[in-house]
Amino acid sequence: MSTDIQQTPLFSLRRVFIIAGNTFTHLMRMKVFYFLLVFVMVAIAVNFLKLPHTAGPESVGAEELRMLKSPMIGVMKLFAIILAIVATALLIPRDLEDRTLYTILSKPVPRLDYLIGKLLGVLILIFVGLTVMTVLLDAVLYFRMQSILESWTQAADMLVLQEQWTDADRTEGRRELLSHGVTWSLQAAMFAIFLEAAIIAALALLVSTFSSSTLFTVVISSLCYFIGQFIGDGRDHWLRESRMADDQVTVIASKLIVVVFPDFRPFKAVDEVVAGQPFPPDLIGTLLISAGLYTGIYLVLSWFIFSDKEI
Amino acid sequence: MSETPAVQISSLVKDFRGSFGRGIIRAVDGVTFEIAPGEVYGLIGPNGSGKSTTMKALLGLVAPTSGKCAIFGKDSTKVDSRRDVGFLPENPYFYKHLSGEETVRFYGKLCGMRGAELRKRTEEVLDLVDLQAARRRRLGGYSKGMLQRIGLAQAMVQDPRLLILDEPTAGVDPIGSRQIRDLILTLKKRGFTVFLCSHLLEQVQEVCDRVGIIHQGVLVKEGRLDDLISIEDQTEIVLRNATPSLLEKIRNLAENEEGVEFVHTGHPRTTLERLFLRETVQKDSQEDHAPVVVSTDNENS
Repeated sequence: MSTDIQQTPLFSLRRVFIIAGNTFTHLMRMKVFYFLLVFVMVAIAVNFLKLPHTAGPESVGAEELRMLKSPMIGVMKLFAIILAIVATALLIPRDLEDRTLYTILSKPVPRLDYLIGKLLGVLILIFVGLTVMTVLLDAVLYFRMQSILESWTQAADMLVLQEQWTDADRTEGRRELLSHGVTWSLQAAMFAIFLEAAIIAALALLVSTFSSSTLFTVVISSLCYFIGQFIGDGRDHWLRESRMADDQVTVIASKLIVVVFPDFRPFKAVDEVVAGQPFPPDLIGTLLISAGLYTGIYLVLSWFIFSDKEI
Repeated sequence: MSETPAVQISSLVKDFRGSFGRGIIRAVDGVTFEIAPGEVYGLIGPNGSGKSTTMKALLGLVAPTSGKCAIFGKDSTKVDSRRDVGFLPENPYFYKHLSGEETVRFYGKLCGMRGAELRKRTEEVLDLVDLQAARRRRLGGYSKGMLQRIGLAQAMVQDPRLLILDEPTAGVDPIGSRQIRDLILTLKKRGFTVFLCSHLLEQVQEVCDRVGIIHQGVLVKEGRLDDLISIEDQTEIVLRNATPSLLEKIRNLAENEEGVEFVHTGHPRTTLERLFLRETVQKDSQEDHAPVVVSTDNENS
């Protein structure tokens, strides 16, 4: 029998990964990846979409690629956000209901390890799901681009021959078309979706530490997500108003409100990428810091609440 | 220096707040007892008497309102105290997506085990709970008794010195129940300290060295099982080969009668069940001024 006197470290990366691995397997065996079938079906369906040729042949290709990307990225975002909220909201209540939480916490497992492990498990699942979907999206876009590029080149050559386009127009048009294909901006946008999901998953974890019902956690987290879409604009407006009125209380409240409701405004860059705009390279750093701060704050708050929770 | 007790609970009080913070419910009220290493201790009490709360406080799952709990001298509120303890909760449901073997390995890894040590220990505990044949089957397909046994396996995986078992035979059929009882006896022989809560008083009587009876959060009786179930003001004489006519004369002649073996003399025993009822149900009746139930036996209880 064990009689060794070892100190249990407050935090152990190995233990966190054991819990994360178990959470990942658990969710995976709950068949969440069936969602990938929905994604594949959407990918197939949008491939059959044909645009009415109201626009000139030079812009049809870009429009078709936009039409292809938009629903597929929409489904990816839906997958990431739904999974971040629902899977996280389920974790602690489920373990509590099944009493698995008793058996885990009666082992030398600090509650912080448990929380980080659970969150990490959900994030790994979202990351793997998004990666698979990104590879599929890239493949669909690449092959579609090949056929579109061929017909576009013929149309562009014709326009140059008819002197409606110059060579510079053709080069610019080609660059514009390629910006709708497989680009680094698209990959960065996918990573931004993951970071957005990480913030909302950490928020759902925080809510689940004090909520007694999964439904409450799902509703509150979803509400926070929607408020987070415009809270940044609201804060700017209140800050302007309160500064004009020299109201320091409102200034502080306006700054604090973006901690409670995460500001998702910078993540709207994903929509710009769908529209063919490049992803600003410096934005990735901003999003990483933002996601790190929000996830960290929510995790620490979750720990404070969960460490005193009577199980 | 005396040996550190496996379990030390001193003046434990646990209050819970009512709904919306209204009122306070005292679940455990000044409970104090110790369990020596190698001992099998049974805590018995009616539903809602505070047994599980006491166990949870000992495991650090709930924080005591006042008082202290320690496992082998280590404060229960500290994670370190859980290195030496294995816990089987009442009606456990483990992760259904895992097989029996994966479950044991998962809990072993949480205890910091790995590699050959973990493989060896997994084999040992699966052997001990007789689940080798079902080791690769997912827990979703396990019977109630098998779930209890895999629960015992996970509790024992890190080879702890103390096992805490909350209703280990709850909902298990008589055969499964007996298997678990035998397992506890095996663990006792191997030197494990076992802290057990059960409603099956007969089983507690069979396996426990000491028992505590908890009622409405108060430990109303505690001590060695043999002492508790003996009746001080009665004497019993155990005879072998006694005839009915001999029984008539026994009071005066027993010691002088030839051919009768005088086997034992001592205090006659009540059953643990009777003691339990006397300490809980009958006390309630007296407190409620209900008519006292008169026992038909002739014990001076």
